[in-house]
Amino acid sequence: MRKKIIGCLVVLSFGALFTGGCAKKDVVRSEEPISAVQTAPPTAQTTPAEVARPAQPVQPAQEARPEAQGGATAQPMTETTPTREPAVAQEAPKAGQAAKAPAAELQAELQKIYFNFDSADLSEESRGVLSKNADYLSKQPSVKVRIEGNCDERGSDDYNMALGERRAKAAKDYLVNLGIASDRLATISYGEEKPVDQGHDEAAWAQNRRDEFVIVK
Amino acid sequence: MRIILLLALLLFAPQLVLAQGYIDVTAPASRKLKIFVAPTSLPGEAAPQVGQELSELFGFDLGLAGPFEISPRDAGMAGADLVLKSAYSVQGGGVTLECRLVDQVLNREVTAKRYTGGARELRRMAHAFSDEVLRAVTGQKGPFTGKIAYVTKASGNKEVFVMDYDGRNPQRVTNNGSINLKPDFAPSGKEIIYTSYKKGNPDLYRRELFTGLEARISSRPGLNAMGAFSPDGSKIALVMTKDGNSEIYLIGRDGKELARLTNSHAIDVSPAWSPDGSRIVFVSDRLGKPQVFIMDADGGNVRRLTANGAYNVTPRWSPKGDRIVYARKEGSGFQIYAINPDGTQDTQLTSAGSNEHPRFSPDGRFVVFSSTRSGSEGVYLMRADGTSQTRISPSNGQDSHPTWSGNM
Repeated sequence: MRKKIIGCLVVLSFGALFTGGCAKKDVVRSEEPISAVQTAPPTAQTTPAEVARPAQPVQPAQEARPEAQGGATAQPMTETTPTREPAVAQEAPKAGQAAKAPAAELQAELQKIYFNFDSADLSEESRGVLSKNADYLSKQPSVKVRIEGNCDERGSDDYNMALGERRAKAAKDYLVNLGIASDRLATISYGEEKPVDQGHDEAAWAQNRRDEFVIVK
Repeated sequence: MRIILLLALLLFAPQLVLAQGYIDVTAPASRKLKIFVAPTSLPGEAAPQVGQELSELFGFDLGLAGPFEISPRDAGMAGADLVLKSAYSVQGGGVTLECRLVDQVLNREVTAKRYTGGARELRRMAHAFSDEVLRAVTGQKGPFTGKIAYVTKASGNKEVFVMDYDGRNPQRVTNNGSINLKPDFAPSGKEIIYTSYKKGNPDLYRRELFTGLEARISSRPGLNAMGAFSPDGSKIALVMTKDGNSEIYLIGRDGKELARLTNSHAIDVSPAWSPDGSRIVFVSDRLGKPQVFIMDADGGNVRRLTANGAYNVTPRWSPKGDRIVYARKEGSGFQIYAINPDGTQDTQLTSAGSNEHPRFSPDGRFVVFSSTRSGSEGVYLMRADGTSQTRISPSNGQDSHPTWSGNM
């Protein structure tokens, strides 16, 4: 170990200068070696190349802001589900590009669903979106999907880890009830760690309280 | 005068002092002890800036501590109760720091230490003497040689770092480009556990800080998060969702499941231990909104702790067991509160900006926390009564989730 320090605590003899023979004597003892915290040797450290990064869904370039925007300043706590527009034109193929794989087409069809603050309840609108997602999934029975639950920044991040999981599971349960095989649907929570909108207003929060449906195979 | 009593005891009966004679520095009416940090003696080839650095370090440590008032530099020893003297020297590849605390009234040495080591360990040596000054004056060692682990977004994603308690000497712990969360020190201070998404799922890792050796100890489906070492280091309380809902479990250091502590349809998160290991404080929304509860360490005897506030989270127990800090949602942010384990004396400690993730220092004197009060989120600390709130992480950083180790 480098940067080893021999830390020894000893009585300073010149303490006696002040107090004669009365100075309290410390027992000489060795101290734990002091070392700077070291980063791991390369073999023990996961290199970025090894990191299994979850596939990122392509985000709509310009997603419609919910109409809650107007009321956001007046009532920051307003719980509003944003309206969604079909995720069109989000990955328009360049001219001459080969036809998209079926999975990529399906990915483009799978829409997010949104939640109220501190809630994993599926709104009527969300249930409608899930029904459409179930239709798409039923047409491609080999495709598997990871449902990613997310939260806005306002809650406790600990609590949001669990809330995101609950949001993902709520969507999974609904899709299973619509006939999608359970083993095609994985869930994961990112809590408040993966916001799509970095803003700090109700419009941003509403975008971030969401489930995403990411094709994994 | 208490101080006269202390000094008399020091003079004639040191053993008796250890047993009962320390100044009660927690009593609000106690007069602060004036301490003068004398200029460091720098013989030979020592660099002059060392003296300035040591003076600032001792002033920062002891000024934060509570029982002291730092005498102005130009005031000299006049009027000081205590004088901290230090001598720095360089020999061979190392340095030596000799420190003495002298009672100015009776002209008597209270304590003295000599530290030797590499030049880079100078600040650590000085913090060690600050710890010793607190031990000599109050009977309880200071926490200044402990480290603070925290999460920083400086590189764009959340990585775990460790720094000195005063924000110096930041050292990277993780470097995987993924999301890394919620570090917690083992009681030894030599290991941390944290949750990382680096293999896709939020799994729990245990890592030796000095060697970098690491093991993934819990990778059950779903969350493996908010791990908290038991006070004896033998167990970890952990939130998992493998059984369908977020519940609190106990696992061993190797990750083996030992017990399931909660069983409710609600969200149960954020476990933290009482210092004797007999109880666990946690957060549950089983009554609607998130509130703080206490249960026995076997999961029995659950009762609600927080009665005020609609959204109370992230509790941590004090090392003495007498207080629990937590964060309460107020408006769009959080404030830090402290409460007795029986639910009395619920006290607000912060008010500026949004303040979260409170944890006690290992001696219970301080609470370290995250705050957004100056714009960017940073690591702050304050005395356990809420005074002396001080930012310690860089002003432009994005740092959060601090946790303070015992002395290593």
